[in-house]
Amino acid sequence: MSGIGIETLLFLITWGTIVGLDLVSVPQAMLARPIVAASMTGWLLHDVDAGLRVGVLLELFALDVLPIGAVRYPDYGAAAVAATALAVGAPWELGLGVSTALGLLLAVVGGWTLQWLRRANADAIQRHVAALAAGESRAIRRLQYGGVARDAARSALLTLVGLGLASWAGRDLRPDRLTAEVLTLVAIGAGSAAAVNGAIRGAGHGLRLRWLGAGLAGGALVALLR
Amino acid sequence: MTGRWRALLRLYAVQGAWNYERMLGVGMGYAAEPLLADLAAADPVRHSEAVVRSAEFFNCNPNLAGLALGATVRAEYLGVPGDQVARLRTALCSPLGALGDQLFWAGVVPALIGATIVGAVVGLKLAAVVTFLIVYNLFRLTVGGWSLSTGLASGAAVGHAIASSWLPRWSARIGAYAAFSIGVAAPVAAGWFLHGYAWRGTAGALGVALTGILLGRLWGRTFTAVRFALVAMGTALLLRWVIGFL
Repeated sequence: MSGIGIETLLFLITWGTIVGLDLVSVPQAMLARPIVAASMTGWLLHDVDAGLRVGVLLELFALDVLPIGAVRYPDYGAAAVAATALAVGAPWELGLGVSTALGLLLAVVGGWTLQWLRRANADAIQRHVAALAAGESRAIRRLQYGGVARDAARSALLTLVGLGLASWAGRDLRPDRLTAEVLTLVAIGAGSAAAVNGAIRGAGHGLRLRWLGAGLAGGALVALLR
Repeated sequence: MTGRWRALLRLYAVQGAWNYERMLGVGMGYAAEPLLADLAAADPVRHSEAVVRSAEFFNCNPNLAGLALGATVRAEYLGVPGDQVARLRTALCSPLGALGDQLFWAGVVPALIGATIVGAVVGLKLAAVVTFLIVYNLFRLTVGGWSLSTGLASGAAVGHAIASSWLPRWSARIGAYAAFSIGVAAPVAAGWFLHGYAWRGTAGALGVALTGILLGRLWGRTFTAVRFALVAMGTALLLRWVIGFL
């Protein structure tokens, strides 16, 4: 990602912030899905193919997670943005493994920051508990806007850190060709396992499992024929 | 803009202040504000009590929160006793969570994502992603509007309205489509990535995939996909270093 201008950097941070907000706070329009976040980043950086490669692979990992209730999950949004920024311009066979590793690490860190956000929101409620008990709409609005603002700050900071790490990795982390290819193959294998495991867990037993089996067989046939 | 539209828009941010204490509670209070505005003029005391209740603990799938929001607001306007409104709200948490999670997180989202992956891989590229965003958000907007309208029309009878609607049937059915879609997408995506690799590379990636599936089935709760990937990559780096050293 070396050589990108300040305007592009600001675009990326803005996009990373929007994507981070989308995951939980607003508007949950699926912009935070890795395949969306990464391919749009690739489009912004004039390398759609790199964005799609990173997006599809991180999406396979994201399919392992059901973000329901209070479950803890990685935040793939800003991670996908930074991983794509690292992948653009390089041959994908060499760049995809390192980019995926960066993306996964950032996704885990992003998940931790979500826990911080939730605790910070709870602390804010404690500070306004008397106003809430008195039925003050203004207190509700303040808590709501505060929560969104905190999430925006979290997302922007996460994107900034991710882009900084991507810049450093692109400049200083240069594995030899074979190592880079091996990392890419391991990432592809691990991503495929994640998607299949998530699908098996989601399918449970009975009819859904049979549909999954039919899909896997059909998909394997398509993959072999292409 | 009417109170109903403002409430619908605010429902898009219903998780804006999500926390472990009240979960969606504050977001529900924020979305309820425009709907409760008329009550402030008619009965200020009741309005104040309703505002307090609107921001108390609540949790469900955010895409179906409109059902609970509409139902409780209607009950407030009808003068249903406050403890009954609170019980209605509590009673709706589990079913709306289960139905919504089944419909969205285990159904529509993976079904569309699987189709998007296949579309992107077979050559539609960015068009597949844009189509996904349009289709998903149209569906979500429709469901959101239906939820709020149904809740407002049904009030305390919202349980019956949900049970007799399309929602339970489709929540149960959509999972099969999702399973099929992801089933197709995973091997197609893997084939796309591995196209052009020699047999050793393909065999290596498949070996990692099978190991990951096995470990995931055995110790999936602790040995998550991300942990497995990072451990596998670390192991590969270590082996490369040892082989290079030798």
